[in-house]
Amino acid sequence: MRRDRAPLSRLQSVALSGSAFLLLVSAVMALGPLLAGAGWWWLCAATAAAVLFGGAGLRAIRVPASLVPVGELGVLLLVLTLFFGGASSFLLLIPTADTFGLFGELLGGAQRTIQQQSVPAVVVPPLAFALALGTGLLAVAVDLAVHTLRLPALAAAPAMVPILVPGFLIEDGAEVGTLVLAAAAFLLLLRVDVRVRRRAALAQHDDDEVRITAPQRMPIGSTLLPTVGLAAAGLVAASLLTASTPSVSTSLLLGTGGQGALFARGVSPFLDLGRDLRRPDAVPAFSYVARDGDRPYFRLLTIDRFDGEVWGPGERRIDGDNAVAEFPTPTGLGDEVARSQHPIDVTVQQLRTTWLPLPYPVASVEGLDGSWFWDRGSLAVRSADSDTSGQQYRATMLEIEPTAEQLRAAGDRIPESIQEFTALPEDVPASIRELAGELGARGGTAYDRAVAIQEYLRGADFSYSVEAPVEEGYDGGGLDVIAEFLEQREGYCVHFASTMAVLARELGIPSRISVGYTAGTPTTKRVENVSVVQVDSQDLHAWPELYFQGVGWVPFEPTPGRGTVPDYSRPGASETAPAPERVPGTPAPTPGARPDLDPERQLSGGRTSAATNDPAVWPLVALALVVLLLLPAAVRSWVRRVRVRRIRRGDRGADAAWREAMATASDLGFPAGADDALTPREAAEALLDELGGVDEGARRALHALRDSVERARYGPPGTAAPASEEALVELVAALRAVASPVARWRARLLPASLLDTARAGRRAAARA
Amino acid sequence: MSEAGAATMTGMPDPGIDEVGARAAAIVENVETVISGKRDAVVAALTVLLAEGHLLIEDVPGVGKTMLARSLARSVDLTVSRIQFTPDLLPSDVTGVSVFDQSSRSFTFKPGPVFANLVIGDEINRASPKTQSALLECMEEHQVTADGVTHRLGRPFVVVATQNPVEMEGTYPLPEAQRDRFMARISMGYPAQADELAMLSTRETASPIELVDPVVGLEELQGMIRTVSRVFTSAPVKEYAVELARATRDDRQLRLGASPRATLQLVRAAKAHAAMHGRDFVLPDDIDALAVPVLAHRLVPTSRALGSHDHDSGPLIDAVVRRIVADTPVPIGSARRD
Repeated sequence: MRRDRAPLSRLQSVALSGSAFLLLVSAVMALGPLLAGAGWWWLCAATAAAVLFGGAGLRAIRVPASLVPVGELGVLLLVLTLFFGGASSFLLLIPTADTFGLFGELLGGAQRTIQQQSVPAVVVPPLAFALALGTGLLAVAVDLAVHTLRLPALAAAPAMVPILVPGFLIEDGAEVGTLVLAAAAFLLLLRVDVRVRRRAALAQHDDDEVRITAPQRMPIGSTLLPTVGLAAAGLVAASLLTASTPSVSTSLLLGTGGQGALFARGVSPFLDLGRDLRRPDAVPAFSYVARDGDRPYFRLLTIDRFDGEVWGPGERRIDGDNAVAEFPTPTGLGDEVARSQHPIDVTVQQLRTTWLPLPYPVASVEGLDGSWFWDRGSLAVRSADSDTSGQQYRATMLEIEPTAEQLRAAGDRIPESIQEFTALPEDVPASIRELAGELGARGGTAYDRAVAIQEYLRGADFSYSVEAPVEEGYDGGGLDVIAEFLEQREGYCVHFASTMAVLARELGIPSRISVGYTAGTPTTKRVENVSVVQVDSQDLHAWPELYFQGVGWVPFEPTPGRGTVPDYSRPGASETAPAPERVPGTPAPTPGARPDLDPERQLSGGRTSAATNDPAVWPLVALALVVLLLLPAAVRSWVRRVRVRRIRRGDRGADAAWREAMATASDLGFPAGADDALTPREAAEALLDELGGVDEGARRALHALRDSVERARYGPPGTAAPASEEALVELVAALRAVASPVARWRARLLPASLLDTARAGRRAAARA
Repeated sequence: MSEAGAATMTGMPDPGIDEVGARAAAIVENVETVISGKRDAVVAALTVLLAEGHLLIEDVPGVGKTMLARSLARSVDLTVSRIQFTPDLLPSDVTGVSVFDQSSRSFTFKPGPVFANLVIGDEINRASPKTQSALLECMEEHQVTADGVTHRLGRPFVVVATQNPVEMEGTYPLPEAQRDRFMARISMGYPAQADELAMLSTRETASPIELVDPVVGLEELQGMIRTVSRVFTSAPVKEYAVELARATRDDRQLRLGASPRATLQLVRAAKAHAAMHGRDFVLPDDIDALAVPVLAHRLVPTSRALGSHDHDSGPLIDAVVRRIVADTPVPIGSARRD
């Protein structure tokens, strides 16, 4: 294959870059259905523009073609530093070691946010970083195809990446309009390339002849090889990255699992909770300092959908407007209910989950790393891109102090939006219905019935056990389990909580279950004269919350021996009963007086280890990078071994020896070796020219290799001499001796010969 | 001299390929003592001689066209004749004529100047078309037919015709069909300044052509020609030659492409080229080197492509051939044989 390749003028180069830019930004547009807002597109466009036009600028100042992609990566780094480096950068543009650390964190966050968010995802900073980085790398790839390889058709491969991604995630895939736009941009790029080629070919001949450039003949093999190579490298990279992604933990509360992955498998969070409760050693989850002496429950998440078998959270995706700096008024809370705000400083220890432990309700949360959003229905807070590990934050708790009177005043009124929380499956076992009927028959308002349920479950007939349900085979929160539990009357928080929630719904009271931690244990450690309260894995708890119009969701505590029974839910509580005085610094009374008196402390078994796979990920990522870096060298060395084997076996040995010699020359930066459009004779001449002075031995070796490959290819049958490995060795040694040390390293790590078949065509120049 | 060279076998074995290369080098060196600085033209002329083709030298008067032909002839000890073509030259002035011999009372054939190993046809485009075609028939047939009797020409039989550029006055340009009979066309070009200066001093006293001695005998040359004809041409190289010829036929700048005869002569010339370099097989490089001299004079550009070039299509055609060579993929060839 022979091709003329004329140097492009600056204008032509910029025209090519411009159409490549259009292709890339229209392709990136295909990600639209996956992401919320439009700001991310401008970021991607700015990054792509910086890389592509930066590359055009580098070419304009005659930077060698092989260095332009490197320069573009540099530009990408500057852009990322400018956008994301923040204070860690030097003069806003120069990345420092801290900047790279920051980038690493951003990438980790991006990985988590991709796991945790559902579409359309909120573009939190880590995700924006990943988008900018990805677009920048795609831009380098597009530029490589368009300018360096001069095969603009190959630019379709990187451009297809953003177009294909939506197809894997959402049913519809990318929007048709975007596809049409991207296709049009691709055609424009091809068109511009054809025009540029023609102009360049005309300009190359300074006479005024009319010339018609013959269409480029491109044997499929020459483009197939690099394409397959690129695709293979991409697949290897993708699989390595996947391998280094932390696996989804089976534990809800100590693992990193995202909501979707967990509940999609139909696993009840209760079972995980029970498993954690049965562990022998308490793992410190977090500690907190409450200046006003509050001992609230810390909720992680709320589950409010019940299908008869499994309790799960409602299908609510993260809403980017719901930042944790400010919370709305809790659902259903009326103005007349007394409330006060108390700051609580939380330091997370080994708890690792995407849900934030918070009292309910809160007014605001400050000091979090990463992007955290509250859920509209439950006000539970979860992160799109990070998790709780290492967090330190101040939650301003909104303490609600309803009176029994206010709760009674709510009556049975249920607003439309809350109706769904009374839904129960059709097949509620008769025993549950009967029990509900009995409890409801005691009369009174919804509040009175709720107190009756709690009273019934806290009665002497029921006892707390984390082991019994498992041994008897009725662990979990399903209807059958509840029926069995009501028979056995032994269970732990999840049984009590789900039973109360179901009974409440049976009696027409909206209910849901919160999962989190009880108040914890004060320690002797003090901060500013306030006890630090320690919460550990043994404090894991689940409790029902019932809805009363005018007050909102209020917690109940049906589990005997655990947690605190709220004042308003004590039987006989009246509007005159004052809320217990809370003196700063003194712990609230905790019935069940744990840890010493709690029977379940001794019963729990199992072992826990906090899933801290962060340190494990980075070596993997580093390993993946090293493997990626060494991949070209490995491929090249494999090719070399195949050729040497052919030489020794005499299987087209002369051909193999010649190809290896030329590939080595190409690796070392002698373009003659790169051009397979040259005949061996022309290539040898061109190489000798490029080498300048070279000793006689090397010249003889080169000519010997040349002669033998010529004879093998074109000589009479049966006259081919065996290829000389010694000549090859001698020539390679001479080539390496002439090349600079930099060229030798580049030859080893980034062997250019792997791309040579796509880059042929210096023949006309060599002959001139 | 009618049967000169026809007596072929003398028991001398044909020279090996290396010897062909060595002798060719000796011939080139010998000719270069007379024509200095024109190595390409000398090599092309010798290539044509070894391939038994005919050579057309096209250039302005006085640059040494005839000198090249004569010194080549002297270097290989060939019989030489020279025809100065003029508008009134008759065909029988070229081929020979039957005259009535009074003593034997019969017609005897008196051979014309064409009966020589090397015929120099000076300014062939000055002769009338009729006379031109008489010569060109001899070139193709290697024989002369007069009064029903066929007279074979000697071997080798090489015509070296010179031609002034066509716009000169009083010329009849060779038609395409007749140009096709020449294996190659070369042009001499003006000598470099140093060469021209040197020429002045060497020619002061005597014509150096007289000083040229044969370095290769006729029989040796015939052996070389036989060796050349046995040079191996691999299938990929043949395909390459065909591809080049086909490309000229499809080219949008050309009205008339290369004929199959052109393909044949391209390969034959490439064999000679290979042998002169001591190689017993043809390389694509040999084909490349000869593409312009062998193909260019047969091609006719479209009038549109010719455009502002008026009548001088030479540079345009040369450029087209070079482009075609650059655009046609070189066959990698099968490496199956090693």
